[in-house]
Amino acid sequence: MSEYGVLLQQVINGLSLGAMYALLALGFTLVYGILELINFAHFNVFMVSSFIGMWTLEAVGISGQSHVLTGLALAGVLALAFAVTMLAGGVLGVAIERFSLRPLRKVRGPAAMITTIGVSYILFNVILLGVGAESKNYPNPMPVVRWQFGQVTLELREVLIWGITAVLMVALHLFVHRTRLGKAMRATAQDAEAAQMMGVDVDRVIVTAFFVGSALAGAAALIFGLYYNFTSFIIGYTAGLRAFTAAVLGGIGSVGGAMVGGLLIGLIESLGGQLIAVRWTDVIIFSILILVLVFVPSGLFGRATPTKS
Amino acid sequence: MAKIGKLPPGTERRARQWRMRMPLALPGRFFGSRNHARALIATIAIAAVIFPLIHRNDADIDSMANALAFAALALGLNIVVGFAGLLDLGYAAFFAIGAYAYGILSSWQLQPEWTSLWEPFQWLGLVAHNHTSAGDFVHFQVSFWLMLPVSAAIAAFCGILFGAPTLRLKGDYLAIVTLGFGEIVPIVVRNWPSLTNGAMGLNGVAPPQLFGFDFGVSATPYYYVGVALVALLILVSLRLRDSRIGRAWMAIREDEIAAEAMGVNLVRLKLLAFACGAAFAGATGTLYIAKLQTATPDMFMFPVSVMILVMVVFGGLGSVWGVVVGALILQVLQSWVLEDLSGWLHALGRLVDIGWLQHVELASSIELIFGIILVFMMLYRRQGLIPATRPQPALNLAEQTAQVSRGGFASLAASPAARPEAPSPLLEISGLSVRFGGLLALHSVDLTVPEHAVVAVIGPNGSGKSTLFNAVTGLVRASQGTIGFAGARLDRLRPDRVLDRGIARTFQNIRLFPNLSVLDNVMIGMHARLDTGTVGSLLRLPAARREEEAARERALEILALFGNRLLPRAEHPAASLSYANRRRTEIARALASRPKLLLLDEPTAGMNPAETLELAEQIRSLNRNGLPILLIEHKLDVVVSLADNVVVLDHGEKIAEGAPDLVRRDQQVIRAYLGRTAAFA
Repeated sequence: MSEYGVLLQQVINGLSLGAMYALLALGFTLVYGILELINFAHFNVFMVSSFIGMWTLEAVGISGQSHVLTGLALAGVLALAFAVTMLAGGVLGVAIERFSLRPLRKVRGPAAMITTIGVSYILFNVILLGVGAESKNYPNPMPVVRWQFGQVTLELREVLIWGITAVLMVALHLFVHRTRLGKAMRATAQDAEAAQMMGVDVDRVIVTAFFVGSALAGAAALIFGLYYNFTSFIIGYTAGLRAFTAAVLGGIGSVGGAMVGGLLIGLIESLGGQLIAVRWTDVIIFSILILVLVFVPSGLFGRATPTKS
Repeated sequence: MAKIGKLPPGTERRARQWRMRMPLALPGRFFGSRNHARALIATIAIAAVIFPLIHRNDADIDSMANALAFAALALGLNIVVGFAGLLDLGYAAFFAIGAYAYGILSSWQLQPEWTSLWEPFQWLGLVAHNHTSAGDFVHFQVSFWLMLPVSAAIAAFCGILFGAPTLRLKGDYLAIVTLGFGEIVPIVVRNWPSLTNGAMGLNGVAPPQLFGFDFGVSATPYYYVGVALVALLILVSLRLRDSRIGRAWMAIREDEIAAEAMGVNLVRLKLLAFACGAAFAGATGTLYIAKLQTATPDMFMFPVSVMILVMVVFGGLGSVWGVVVGALILQVLQSWVLEDLSGWLHALGRLVDIGWLQHVELASSIELIFGIILVFMMLYRRQGLIPATRPQPALNLAEQTAQVSRGGFASLAASPAARPEAPSPLLEISGLSVRFGGLLALHSVDLTVPEHAVVAVIGPNGSGKSTLFNAVTGLVRASQGTIGFAGARLDRLRPDRVLDRGIARTFQNIRLFPNLSVLDNVMIGMHARLDTGTVGSLLRLPAARREEEAARERALEILALFGNRLLPRAEHPAASLSYANRRRTEIARALASRPKLLLLDEPTAGMNPAETLELAEQIRSLNRNGLPILLIEHKLDVVVSLADNVVVLDHGEKIAEGAPDLVRRDQQVIRAYLGRTAAFA
């Protein structure tokens, strides 16, 4: 395969990774947009969801990669797995908000963020102690179908990942821009106090942001499992930090920015690994994170946040 | 020039009376009294020294030595997070830097070829000439005792290098950036095997030697070095905390904008906090690695940073003794209690024949316990085990209901200072414009404050009054125009430089440092007027001690200007004050900076008529003492009674200026305030 073909193949990989990061980044951005809180628990909501997805697939009798489904059966199983995983992820996110963050809503300073670190640690260690440290083979009912376009191979699972991500993104866009609750969300992000005075139930908006964000993390988690064919207690940290970088790069608080940022980080990861070296990928991504925060804190599409005085 | 330094008769006596009743100068806020504190510290010190002599279990001494290393790290992070409020999630990176600095310079990792250039270093004892069959090589053998301060300096330097561009980020962004830094350092260590031996780790790091005694692998000598290091860092932390530097850090933690407006150089003090924290971690890294004699990148990853943060949060953010206790408890929990508990559970499991009980390993759940502690502390006990500030007893009924005495100004009101006939202008603003995006908040405003005068700025809400103050004090950048003060240009100066030049201000929506005492709030106002630096504070030189004592006296005297309003509450946190008292404290804080010009932004807002009258009288007496005042005020009777000159702003433009009575009758002013119909009625 020529140099050019390899790069093109890496672009395909990068887009798949990027789709996953974008879904995960949306959770950071939705919560940050409303609460100005960096939610470290999101890292491991993602990780826990991947296990829920795995157990769901195992519950319907899929194990390993050999149990291949096609047609309606495949669609049905995938729809069920996504529905259960997203619902569970969403409920977990809402529970975290309700029990550990709502009591701290009026507290100044880093208390809420420190709490999310604590929650993240708890989730991490519950899975580590409960499931064990070894990574798990992820059940995957998708048949291995490959199409060859010149030097580039396209797989069915990649097309499915892009399709599912696109559907979720469009749904989120419609939700935020076409529904009453979406409008309340946008209002709360601009000015929570004013929105509250205009009759917006801010608690409900915050719960919704956590539910939607965590449900998308659930979708991203299932995509992770189906893409890499494994899961483990440690996947939340790296993927979470990359997704967070994506949210910052796109402009934290901006839904469109998270999508673009996610794709960019996916491409940077796959192309950077190809062109430089995989062992430096994290350094590249964290350097981007630091440089963006220092020099363009509003990111590519973020609004410049007014300093609260 | 204001003569606030010379106080009205009687204030000093009143201040002294209060001082005698209150134990203000206590060193340790955590202890009941000075003698108790000393006895307790002496007991702890003796216990620490004799522990290895009475408890001769090397494994236990070893875990205590580790616990001490983490206590030292917690003390360092406490300076960054607890004092200065900068959330650092990559603190372990500095630990790694200190560890690898010693590890590389006292092992066989680097063996460059021997040349004569190395001879001076050999003479100094830093390197040895190593003859082998393959050739002549350099063997680094820098002394542990030299590397302790050098590692601290290297880590501090890295802290400054990393902090300089990033420390202006606000809280949570800073946390993320430090997290990224904390990730990058171990990856670089792993990927640079020629320097660090990569993931395999450094091996054969030389143990310290003292007068020919080799520390080797026995834990006891390291334990004693750990005790000495922690004792030193406690002393450094306490001295910094109770100094001008520590006050400025806490001011930054409480309210950055107010701190800067009161003369605190944010960049310098944040970097200082970062460098101090990094230095603590660097020295500790050297000790830790000398004890282990090996280092791998995995020893310095994110979980270590979180563990240190848990120790600080558990012990009490900002509480020096608290974080030490927190670190020791958590380490002891990890290495003793959980092990013992697991052992008991295994025994119990065998007794009642339950399989899983026989295999429970509680020590592996330590991180789960850390997570639970973190969440629990944040939800239910944010001040930690040993809070940094002791709760102050509420005032008793007699003190609460005491007759209000008006303090120092009243006695002065009758004796106005002589005024020059033609006062020269002190503050001269010309053509000042401020633009926020598309909004022109101020448009070509001219304004002059003569020496000794009171100038009032009035205007409807949103007319640009506070923006004018912000432009003068450097909080917003003027897009056009000049601001001259006492013969020099002020525009383009940072807020702390403006205060240094002699302009102090209050804020419309009161920006005190809520968790600091009233007295500390006022003393932060003096920041720019005090000279004690880091070294002076650390060594507690006689000059530093005298200055601190004098500053405290003066702060009390300034509080005494408000009679018995603030003095009885001098040790109370500012957040506990009534609204009017918070306004008074803010004025006292501004006065503490010995201003040449005082800017008051709606000083009587929210006060009842009697309090308004009292404050107006006090402002007038300040002015009679020679202090020029620029005042924003909505209450027109206050304006009329105080101001020599009134400037009216509307939609960012000056629409009228003149004597209060004239301005009050101006048609344009009436229209701006009450609308067109009212003006023509």
